[in-house]
Amino acid sequence: MTNRERAMRILHYQPVDRMPAVHFGYWGELLTEWAAQGKIPKELAENNWDGSEKDRELDKLIGWDFNWQNTVGADNGLKPGFETKTLEVLPDGSRRVQSWTGVIERVKPGVTSIPSEDDYILKDREAFETLYRPKMQYSPERVNLEYFRHFNETRDWDRPVGLHLGSVLGSIRDMTSVIGMSYLLYDEDEDLFADIVDTYAEMQYQCVKAILETGAKFDFAHYWEDICFKNGPLLSPEMFDELCAKHYKKRNDLCRQYGVDVISLDCDGVTEKLLPTWFANGVNTMFPIEVGVWGDQFGPARKKFGKGMLGVGGMDKTALRKDKAAVDAEIERMKRLSAMGGFIPCPDHRLMPGTKFELVQYYAEEIKRIKP
Amino acid sequence: MSIYSEISENLQKGKAKVVRALVEQAVADGCPAAEILGEGLLSGMNIVGEKFKKNEVYVPEVLVAARAMNMGIDVLKPLLAEDGVQSAGRVCIGTVQGDLHDIGKNLVKMMMEGKGLEVIDLGVDVSPETFVQTAVEQDCDIICCSALLTTTMEVMAEVVKKAEEAGIRDRVKIMVGGAPVTDAFCQQIGADRYTSDAASAADAAVELCKEE
Repeated sequence: MTNRERAMRILHYQPVDRMPAVHFGYWGELLTEWAAQGKIPKELAENNWDGSEKDRELDKLIGWDFNWQNTVGADNGLKPGFETKTLEVLPDGSRRVQSWTGVIERVKPGVTSIPSEDDYILKDREAFETLYRPKMQYSPERVNLEYFRHFNETRDWDRPVGLHLGSVLGSIRDMTSVIGMSYLLYDEDEDLFADIVDTYAEMQYQCVKAILETGAKFDFAHYWEDICFKNGPLLSPEMFDELCAKHYKKRNDLCRQYGVDVISLDCDGVTEKLLPTWFANGVNTMFPIEVGVWGDQFGPARKKFGKGMLGVGGMDKTALRKDKAAVDAEIERMKRLSAMGGFIPCPDHRLMPGTKFELVQYYAEEIKRIKP
Repeated sequence: MSIYSEISENLQKGKAKVVRALVEQAVADGCPAAEILGEGLLSGMNIVGEKFKKNEVYVPEVLVAARAMNMGIDVLKPLLAEDGVQSAGRVCIGTVQGDLHDIGKNLVKMMMEGKGLEVIDLGVDVSPETFVQTAVEQDCDIICCSALLTTTMEVMAEVVKKAEEAGIRDRVKIMVGGAPVTDAFCQQIGADRYTSDAASAADAAVELCKEE
């Protein structure tokens, strides 16, 4: 049985020989740390991204079966993006940098934290019409049709490969910052924010459609959103539903027409209040279910939505910084969740600095002993 | 409806320009600046804070209300200074060294200002020494530290240690918060208060200032 078969059978409540060992990548600093400790070759710590050859090499070294975030898709961002440039170097060495989304970020050499958002360009209708709308249009060069026409001959059939569907709101948030999004939602031009969301979503839909029409086969489809935090969503569930529900439905219905019935969504934070919108509109797989830092949970979601709600994630990755006993406790918890079916354990986000290499190897080995 | 109620209600709706105009009108009508602040602006922000704690409003509503409050306060600032109106306490706040993500810190700052506290914003990537030095030099009642990352929250322990070394722990309280921070962690490092959300942090800060 291949890992692709294992994963997809579990997510369809069919029997398998064992649980696959699945992960969600690493913080770059951790790979550097492991390389410095002599745990991994230095070259695997550089330019290692989800699903890449180096990622797969590392899988073998650790004992993982695959990275869930192994997806392909269109060039579905702002096209062209804004020029990334340093606007100002501040006395403490930090820099104000215009990012490709138009948000002005504060970054500091040597500090790898998520940047501080200082300012943003997308403040009003004029900025949207002149600077952003033109960058949000569908055009054929957004999709590498030649690649997707031959995709079924070249893709890996041993592990699941997903179609990346983009994002409905997370990317807009990236263009406006949280403050900008908030102001745009309440400023005088009441239709502006919805116009932005609709314009971007339509382009992304066209990209997905063009890819699926090539006949390329995918095991699942996948969104990125990151629109929640410690205390829930970054905006009201009602507002989120009004702005976004129709776009999820349109994209997800299309996927199902092409036989893709596992649709996962990557959202950090406590997602509970947005799950009804996602689930009602075709998203059926929670990922990565951050239990460790944020206290998100899969069990209550399964109870509320039934067997239609699937999950990939939910393993408290902070246990992998502690000791064997902490990992064993997590494995026991994963066994209980896996027994419900339709659930694949996976560390609940990228492994962070301080994670112990041997504990990750141990976890990967032990998780394969689970028989769902 | 009194002008204070009008200010409060428009603030809750995030109508910054209306709030500013109403505050200007109240000043022109001879209302005391402290009353406009307390019964209009802070009263409205308090209601937003309570609703935020109960998940009746979300981050956007807090941000637009705070923007409206600040526009009103801008009008009042010189008058409050003239009248010698004292703040409810003084807090220095920042994200800890190594952490640049400041949305949470900014929300806490807004909520604290909404409670009438004076907040010295040290910004992001703040060293333990800077927190302590500011508390000493600016006579702060509270040091408030925020962290997004499990890797940076450890710096909070260093802030507590530096404050002890500086001999200010008997008069300066230390509050901690942020995504990975818990009450257990707060106790473990010897800080004074952890809260799980921005509005509760502001309530706790007011309590701590009253205790002193």
